[in-house]
Amino acid sequence: MFSDSLIILKKELKRIFTDRRMVIMLVLVPLIMLPAMYSIMAKMGQARDSDIASFRSTICIYEGTGNEDVMGPFIDALSSFNTSLELVQLEELDAVKQAITDKEKELLLVMPDNFHESLASCSTFDIAIYFNSTADYSDYACNRVIEALTVLSEDIVRERILERDMSEEVLSVFTINEAPIQYDLAKKGSVVGKIISIILPFFIILYLLINSMNVGLDTVAGEKERGTLALILVNQVDRLSIVIGKMMSVMIAAIVGAASSVVGLIIASKYFMGMFGASGAAISSYSMSSIHILQFTIVVIPLAVLVASMVLIVSTYARNTKEGNGMMMPIYFVVMIVGMATMQTGDVPPKWMLSTPVFNSLLVLKDIFMQDAAWSTIIAASLSSVVLSAVFIYLTLKMFSKEKILFRI
Amino acid sequence: MLKVENLCKVFKNKKKHKAETVEAVRDVSFECSPGEIFGLLGPNGAGKTTTLRCISTLIKPTNGNVYIDSYNVLEDGKTIRSRIGFLTSDMKLDGFFTPDYMVDYFGALNKMRKENIQQRKEYLFNELQMNDFIHKKIDKLSTGMKQKTAIAISLIHDPEVIVFDEPTNGLDVITSKSVTDFLKKYAESGKTIVISTHMMNVAEKLCDRFGILVDGELKELGSLKEILDNNSSDSLEDVFFGYILPPAEGEVNHVQ
Repeated sequence: MFSDSLIILKKELKRIFTDRRMVIMLVLVPLIMLPAMYSIMAKMGQARDSDIASFRSTICIYEGTGNEDVMGPFIDALSSFNTSLELVQLEELDAVKQAITDKEKELLLVMPDNFHESLASCSTFDIAIYFNSTADYSDYACNRVIEALTVLSEDIVRERILERDMSEEVLSVFTINEAPIQYDLAKKGSVVGKIISIILPFFIILYLLINSMNVGLDTVAGEKERGTLALILVNQVDRLSIVIGKMMSVMIAAIVGAASSVVGLIIASKYFMGMFGASGAAISSYSMSSIHILQFTIVVIPLAVLVASMVLIVSTYARNTKEGNGMMMPIYFVVMIVGMATMQTGDVPPKWMLSTPVFNSLLVLKDIFMQDAAWSTIIAASLSSVVLSAVFIYLTLKMFSKEKILFRI
Repeated sequence: MLKVENLCKVFKNKKKHKAETVEAVRDVSFECSPGEIFGLLGPNGAGKTTTLRCISTLIKPTNGNVYIDSYNVLEDGKTIRSRIGFLTSDMKLDGFFTPDYMVDYFGALNKMRKENIQQRKEYLFNELQMNDFIHKKIDKLSTGMKQKTAIAISLIHDPEVIVFDEPTNGLDVITSKSVTDFLKKYAESGKTIVISTHMMNVAEKLCDRFGILVDGELKELGSLKEILDNNSSDSLEDVFFGYILPPAEGEVNHVQ
């Protein structure tokens, strides 16, 4: 029986891997697309950051009445970065606010009237900063102004303390984690792994499904559409061998596609994640030991079989590939929801997730990336995928004996 | 020797929660001997394809049976399939492969040894004059070349019985003639051939015996002479249309 499945498998793999368009779509696109996407994103991000930082913001200031003598330190603080300061009058405030909404000016500071009195009596007063959160330059200027004013506020407090002959130390009650030792007790690799584990399982299930759909819908529904399924059935090969051969080809294509997307992601991480700052740099140094790669393989292969058998059941039921595509859409959305739900789970996912195929595999993959997976959960997830795949293969086989489904009489 | 005995096929359709049965083939019986070409004639929806699918083990008869020598489709499906070559004209082979590869593939599916596939391929490629295009992708071939490829695929395992649904459908006159010539020659080598067609001129030239199938029932069975004598007609086409067209005023239709 296995040799018959191999005949089918060899033909299907030849169909997939010697077709230039299919190879480009399955292997090259994810391999090139992800690094290209990351590099473009990183380059654009860097260009945007440097553009914002080098931009000379226009900050308008309304001094309030009676404050002329105390504005000096405020003006100095706001001049400390790349800004152009404009003093405005009370009657101009509405026009300036409109200019900020229209992204023509970046910021408006409105000082309260006579705040010099509050300064002198050490009581609190409020400064209003108007900005536009949808404008990058305004948002950046707002953050920089808040930083500068916070420093100024600390300096004023320090001066007040010194005027009262008190030590500056009264400003600090305690410090946290100041000693140069390792406070984070997480396992080695699991900190970076946690970041990776949020996104990678989702990518894996996404690519397994997309590649299975690309290849799998044609294997039976396409043969039905072309009328060649009858030709295969009037042969010496039994129907189980046909199902197994076709399912294996879909699974191999799905794994190759998913593997190339993971490799693409690794390349992207190694070369481009450093551009995203400290966490990105940490991700680019992430590596997995051989035992974790083995655990990953043990979970991913049954998961690929499950996805392939799921697509095959749809492909067998559908009249043609178009109908198959339509039928796959709800399954596609469900799998997407499952993938996204596993991104949001906490340290202890609900029990039903752990006992639900696909869900449990993705959760175990998260643990594997954090280098913290238990063998019992790995085996349980793999077994549940295998059992459900067997059910799907059995159902596909049942469909292969239904004239109505095979020939849509 | 092919023998179809009281063949019935009923399809059950569910429409709006109501079970509906359609009797596609009703009590059809005929025989076809080695060296003979049997033509199953009938309009679209008459039950020709269903009958051929039952013979090819693709679908199971509801009643009756089909025998090839001492084997029957209900119990000996695998043996029947080893002795049968099935082909339908509405089949579109995967354009990505070459005829040579596809013939190899179907040879392997028929559990043939490599050297036997090679020998058989050489014979079929020569007989069907395919050598010029066996290494070209099927996508690049003409309709006639594709049909020849399909014939080579269905005959790779040297079946005793060939079941051919609409063999000349969609072919130009030259390719159609080369296909019918090949089938004649093949029958002369002692093979049993059953074809379905609604083209009377093809049937008359090709077939030794005929069955006219209308609404799932075999209305006529016999040689051309027998059918024409029975119906006092001088044309198979007239007999055929007598069953499927409404009678002119004052004329009696066969069906009535």
